[in-house]
Amino acid sequence: MKKKWRTAEPYLWILPSVILMAIFIIVPIFYVFKMAVSDVSKTGKIRGFAGFENFSSVLSDASFGMVMKNTLIWTVAVVGLSTILGFMLALILNNKFRGRKIARAIVVFPWATTLVIQASVWNFIINTDYGTLNTLLLRLGIIHQAINWTPTPAAYFAWEIACGIFVTIPFVTFTVLSGLQSIDNSFYEAATVDGANYWQKLFKITIPLVRPSLTVSTVLNIIYVFNSFPIIWTMTKGDPANHTDTLVTYLYKLAFYNGRQGEAAAVSVIGFLFLLICASAYMISTLKKEGK
Amino acid sequence: MSEPKNSLKKPVSAKKVILRVLLYFVVLDVCVITLYPYFVMFCTALKSRAEIFSMNGTVLPITAVWSNFIDIWKRAPMAKYLLNSVLIAGGSTLIAMICGIPAAYALARMKFKGQTAFLGFIIVSQMFAPVVLLIGIYKVMMSLHMTNSIIGLIFINAAFNQAFTVWLLRGTFLGISPEMEQAAKIDGCNKMQAMFRVLLPVAAPGIVTTLIFIFINAWNEYTVALTLISADTLKPLTVGINIFNGYNMIEWQYLFAASLFAVIPVVILFMCIEKNLVSGLASGGVKG
Amino acid sequence: MKKFVALLLALTMILALGACGNSDKASDGKVELNVIAAQYGTNTAAWWDNFVKEFEAEYENIDLNVEVVSWNDISTKVNTRISNDEAPDILNIDVFADYQADGLLLPAKDYVSEETYNKMYPAFLEQSEIDGTVWAIPDLASARALYYNVDILKAADVEVPTTWDELTAACKALKEYDSNIYPWGIDMTTDEGQAAFAYYTWNNGGGFVDEDGNWTLNSAENVEAIEYAIGLVNAGYTNTDPATETRYALQDLFCAGQLAMMIAPNQLSGLAKAANINFAVAEIPSNTGESVSAGVMDRFMCFDNGYSDEELEAIKTFFDFFYDDARYSDWVIMEDFLPATSTGGEIMAAADESAAAWVDIVGSSKFYPTAKAEWADVKQGVIKAEQTALLGGSVKDALDELQAQIAGS
Repeated sequence: MKKKWRTAEPYLWILPSVILMAIFIIVPIFYVFKMAVSDVSKTGKIRGFAGFENFSSVLSDASFGMVMKNTLIWTVAVVGLSTILGFMLALILNNKFRGRKIARAIVVFPWATTLVIQASVWNFIINTDYGTLNTLLLRLGIIHQAINWTPTPAAYFAWEIACGIFVTIPFVTFTVLSGLQSIDNSFYEAATVDGANYWQKLFKITIPLVRPSLTVSTVLNIIYVFNSFPIIWTMTKGDPANHTDTLVTYLYKLAFYNGRQGEAAAVSVIGFLFLLICASAYMISTLKKEGK
Repeated sequence: MSEPKNSLKKPVSAKKVILRVLLYFVVLDVCVITLYPYFVMFCTALKSRAEIFSMNGTVLPITAVWSNFIDIWKRAPMAKYLLNSVLIAGGSTLIAMICGIPAAYALARMKFKGQTAFLGFIIVSQMFAPVVLLIGIYKVMMSLHMTNSIIGLIFINAAFNQAFTVWLLRGTFLGISPEMEQAAKIDGCNKMQAMFRVLLPVAAPGIVTTLIFIFINAWNEYTVALTLISADTLKPLTVGINIFNGYNMIEWQYLFAASLFAVIPVVILFMCIEKNLVSGLASGGVKG
Repeated sequence: MKKFVALLLALTMILALGACGNSDKASDGKVELNVIAAQYGTNTAAWWDNFVKEFEAEYENIDLNVEVVSWNDISTKVNTRISNDEAPDILNIDVFADYQADGLLLPAKDYVSEETYNKMYPAFLEQSEIDGTVWAIPDLASARALYYNVDILKAADVEVPTTWDELTAACKALKEYDSNIYPWGIDMTTDEGQAAFAYYTWNNGGGFVDEDGNWTLNSAENVEAIEYAIGLVNAGYTNTDPATETRYALQDLFCAGQLAMMIAPNQLSGLAKAANINFAVAEIPSNTGESVSAGVMDRFMCFDNGYSDEELEAIKTFFDFFYDDARYSDWVIMEDFLPATSTGGEIMAAADESAAAWVDIVGSSKFYPTAKAEWADVKQGVIKAEQTALLGGSVKDALDELQAQIAGS
């Protein structure tokens, strides 16, 4: 009896979590798969089975390659840079100094505003005609003529990435900060006795010990950023001609502007498979490193 | 932070002073950059419509229209929206924690078949954007009769935040030695008591991070709330302020004024629990 | 730890309170009508609130729920509900053909009383006709015309352009007069790029469809028209970035006195007046000698949710109440739109002279072919073609490809 309880017990502990996710996420996910292989009418009614027709029509779209490439650039740039910057910021904020409480509260700000608004503010900053960046620089006498900050689609995309980094940094910073708290101070004391300098301590103690919490938050971050919608949607809607589209904005247009919900579901399945492969590869490689 | 390594030979105090100055310099820069968009928001919220788009604009408003901040309360049920947002974010945090903490505990402290599969499953569950899942979510909510309810939104937000909750708390729990809990058990505590009395207080930094994370995510959630909630009295702030987003113009001054109010509760919450980020470990004085 | 528990308790209580707040309304034998309406502006929600109050006071047996949704989100919301078989009873939105194609709608004559039906301009009703049946009724209309800043044109000594040649010359003169002013506004964004397509092709004898309703997206007239528009951009006569600057942005520039001319709906008058701009309105410049305005019309439609006679009667009552002349003109004026009923038009024209001119314009407007099933793809397609051209691509190639894609499918 007791043994049976022992085997069953862990499952009871995870049960609430499993039920919660099964009902509210897994069921909707199944529905997406169903749509992806169905013939769906413009208003979203399923008419019948379509096999891989949705997939082939998506893949035959000439812009799909560019959208995929944009998604990659977007994800790698936002996650990569925000992880580095967020990590550095966490190290800084982990020092004791006057006003640290306020500084930490300020760092939360970019996170505490809904992305639609955040992206709108960025539009206000970089706009050529009434943007505050130009106004500021003009008033300070640094420039004498309003600058067009977004002359090309690539420039626009770069601003979107910058905005993405800006709002993602707090997430990284606070994950790292919480990881830093759990490092036992005796490690550092021992290292100091051994004459290690700051950088040696950073690379030999801090980074290896923070890595486990960073691995997971990076994987989740990759997923969130990959699927991030509001920034690009608010700033450019993927214009011009898909040059700033990522998979999510692309499929949103497919679903709700072109009324092709089956194809939109197919795009999201493709994105899912892609993420699945990348995330597994990343997890396996970092877990291996940790194992060594 | 790039001073030469031989600076060790210099008097320690001089180096410390330089480092301090550098530190404050960097922190100040970060704060200024971070606050800049909010400064822009604030200035725009204070401007009249004509001034926002004027040529030869100024950074600060020429005539500050403070009434913009008051008007929004008259033009929209802001208080109701704020209350709904608090309910949704608070409720989601609560449910996510109630479901997540036991799961993380089991993963960190027990061995069972399917452990890795469960961890993988959680990550995989996050791989679809909420935008994609809308139709399916609506279906589920309809069968549960929760399409137009705050409770429904709470469950969805809690579910979407499970991955982070479980993974981060599992990591935090793993980093804490089980010895203290074992000692507590010898003293006659059961597992539940040991978890509540011993483990959770020690795990405060991780818990606080998770709390903030869930709260903020639920606070900012837009797409699902928009689709599920149809009654104006149940809308959270993110959806409610759409009232300033018209067919022919967007009333930026109101939109931004309202958004500034939306930051306040989050920052207050953060200030209240921030100290737990620092002094988590019972041993205290962790950092140098 | 105690604090933690206290916090949990507090949250639970808040939750419980929230739960009480949204218990379902008991439907005590009343007929329930669910309406989703587009949010035209900041007054829309309040207008509907008041409407519901008055309606329910007069018809106590009807429980009317009106949900006002912003334009950005309305199709997301409606489609999500439809794919879950939870269509509203009445919907106020711009397009209807997709819903009709799925057999979701009732013919207009089934849910509108004859008296109310006869008030509508026949030309408007035709826009909602598929296979000889009218499926939706117009709730309001708006039309586009050329807005220009009188002060700027006067200072630069430029006449109001009526032809494309004059337009090019006017842009050139304005640019030379003050290089900080944008002579001409163009919006080719995902927001409303199809409008630009309409302005230029219709005024060059082209358009989306021919007289028989076949797609003619790559006609020589269309290619020439779009090339002309792109030429204006490349010559530096327009706003900086037509691919991302929406009409809202252009209107804001116009109201800031930084844009000399643009094509806009009549609502710009109110905004420009409020911004103290000395403006005037003229016909859209044309290359054929006959200016064509672009009309936009929104609609009411009724979903076939298997109504009882009583419910159908309630829906008819709703529309009679809505199109009541006084209430209807109030609706149209509220957000500066143009009426879609002859009686509404008469009231408005009598009340305001400038409105009379607009009522005329809307009468002679062309409309998007929204009744055609491919419209959504065409709309997105022409926007993409325009943007490709803005990036330096060939207009002809882009339109050829689009035509092949649309007509071939």
